[in-house]
Amino acid sequence: MPFIVAFVFAYILWLVLTAGTNGLLWSTGELVAGLIFAGLVAYATRDIIGEKSTRFLNPIKWLEFAVYSVGPLFWGMVKANFHVAWLVITGKIRPGIVRVPVDLENDAQYTILSNSITLTPGTLTIDACPEEKALYVHWIDIPEGLERPENSEPVSGPFEKWARRLGR
Amino acid sequence: MREDMGLIVKTTARAIIPLIGIFGAYIVVHGHLTPGGGFQGGATIAGAGILFLVAFGLDEMKKHYNKSLYSVLEGVGGLAFLGAAMLGMGVAFFYNTLWHNGPFFNGEPGTLLSAGFLPIMNLAVGLKVFTGLVSALTAIALYRRWKS
Repeated sequence: MPFIVAFVFAYILWLVLTAGTNGLLWSTGELVAGLIFAGLVAYATRDIIGEKSTRFLNPIKWLEFAVYSVGPLFWGMVKANFHVAWLVITGKIRPGIVRVPVDLENDAQYTILSNSITLTPGTLTIDACPEEKALYVHWIDIPEGLERPENSEPVSGPFEKWARRLGR
Repeated sequence: MREDMGLIVKTTARAIIPLIGIFGAYIVVHGHLTPGGGFQGGATIAGAGILFLVAFGLDEMKKHYNKSLYSVLEGVGGLAFLGAAMLGMGVAFFYNTLWHNGPFFNGEPGTLLSAGFLPIMNLAVGLKVFTGLVSALTAIALYRRWKS
């Protein structure tokens, strides 16, 4: 039921936007209006949110997303930003586009991995090709001998394992 | 030539279109309380529709877009605005009778159900702007081909 997924996420965003209308909580009118408008939006978007999106209603998955974004992703971004600052100061770069073979199954996993790679500076996803199970990544500083990586480990670290887990 | 965007854009659009829709609805509904209102919220929701058109391509849009429905909804938006304006015709055109002695929308100022006919007018304008902009952009996208 994709309707339920769109409804839940729309209603959560509505509650976040209208928090504080009754003390720190919500007034009855806001709660009812949120039900109506989240229902309308969910009805209008039920066809496009995706048939198998109900797996994202799992609270364990939300916890995993929270752990991923404050843990590995944030730490990777901090490290990579300092690395790029170092590259800017020294000016020693070796740019190029590499083909990274990945072992992922569905669209959500490709999206999570591609966005994680793009968020960490120094690497930028150019295209995701699920039919050849590969990503094309622009890398600002390719280490010697890694022009044709065997897997995504040298490009993105542990992100592929996380993406496989989060999008499953 | 492919008309749709790549996989990442499409998956992100799937996740983000309902959120743009509810944010636009929030702007429309709170038009009398916070910055924004009918036009701004309607244009925001139309942005979700245009994101769908751009990300998924014209063929997919043709399957989901219903010309008659959007045309009717645009007319309904205009008529609801006019109807709200006519409510206080006993005194004057645009007389806010819902606020002065109406049965609803006359709550404490600052709450959701206040300001008389303004929430109704915001919803009407939002519906009209959303359907009008989506119809206009879809018509432009459909406009035959580059030559002749």
